[in-house]
Amino acid sequence: MSDVMERTKTIELRVLRYRPVSDQQPVFQAYQVPYSDDMSVLQLLQSIKDTQDGTLSFRWSCRMAICGSCGMMINGDPRLACNTFVRDLAPNPITVEPLRNFPIERDLVVTVSDFVKKIESIYPYIIPKTPKSIEAGEYLQTPAQMAAYESFSDCINCMLCYAACPQFGANPDFIGPGAMALLQRYNGDSRDGGQQLRLDSIAGEDGVWSCTAVGVCSDACPKQVDPANAVNQNKTKSALDFFLRFIRPKAQAAGAKS
Amino acid sequence: MSERRPYVRAQPRDWWARKPYLGYTLRELTGAGVALYGGILLAGLISLARGPDAFEGFRSFLSSRLSLLIHLLLLAVMIWHVVTWFQTMPKTMPKLIAGGQHVPQQKLTVAGVALAALCSVALIVLVVAVGALS
Repeated sequence: MSDVMERTKTIELRVLRYRPVSDQQPVFQAYQVPYSDDMSVLQLLQSIKDTQDGTLSFRWSCRMAICGSCGMMINGDPRLACNTFVRDLAPNPITVEPLRNFPIERDLVVTVSDFVKKIESIYPYIIPKTPKSIEAGEYLQTPAQMAAYESFSDCINCMLCYAACPQFGANPDFIGPGAMALLQRYNGDSRDGGQQLRLDSIAGEDGVWSCTAVGVCSDACPKQVDPANAVNQNKTKSALDFFLRFIRPKAQAAGAKS
Repeated sequence: MSERRPYVRAQPRDWWARKPYLGYTLRELTGAGVALYGGILLAGLISLARGPDAFEGFRSFLSSRLSLLIHLLLLAVMIWHVVTWFQTMPKTMPKLIAGGQHVPQQKLTVAGVALAALCSVALIVLVVAVGALS
């Protein structure tokens, strides 16, 4: 038996296209694409680009839901195209649009620079509690201490949670669910001493306080990172930090110094 | 030739009325129901302070058909408020670890709703018991 399944059926794929040179605004274009039951939506797009329309632009890399490149709106929901199978959506036409809440660069490609800036803004690295030399050995951690943050380290930066978040749609400066998951990955790490520094960076309106606990970000996450949990437990921490600074001025001063 | 001209799509004004956000909108609206019920209780308290006549007026309002309808509606709203409140609660807490394992959020929700139900039943029993004894 052949490794490749025969593409015996055809499906309509409606793609929202935007060519900055020639289009004033995005327009839908329909393609009739042969498919087989083992194909993903990403493979449909690749098939179009290879055989029908070489000008179609979209991002992809790993094809196995780990690189986070092929996030797009599929039938209105934020999904990874490689992780969404045609057989689950057929025989109805499939609609594909660029990720919601992001500026469109071209076709299904969106601007990611603001998201990258947000990731950088939350100190995405371990700031050791007590720095030590390489000779002094590694920083140790128990399995229980690792379990406290491990799930937040599963984020693949696919930005589906941002496309799912209506508050990010209303306020593009909102730090958003993905960056907060990364923040919690470091703030929850027993080896880390940068909690106060990161908490200070997310205390304002554009920090955690734009979140109204809609929770759809966690439903959209393809890696079950639960970014809504990361944002909302940090609301509690941010509120505690605000009130506790009145009764522990010394701790605040120490935090500001580090 | 390459030209960068990023296109920004506006967020639809009625996003809150569309699927998957409608559940969230209804959940938040139940807060208004809780406030309304708080208002009814407050009206009772004010009537009590104003004297026996005012309080009798409040009691006759309570036994009206309109009041019964409002209370049935508010009961449904309140139950939905409690359930969704406990669904949201685990999202606002640090991850609970018991015996080296994460406690599933579903379990916390079920425990919370069960506790709320128990408190409600206990309150009803108390009110009925006090009523029977007085």
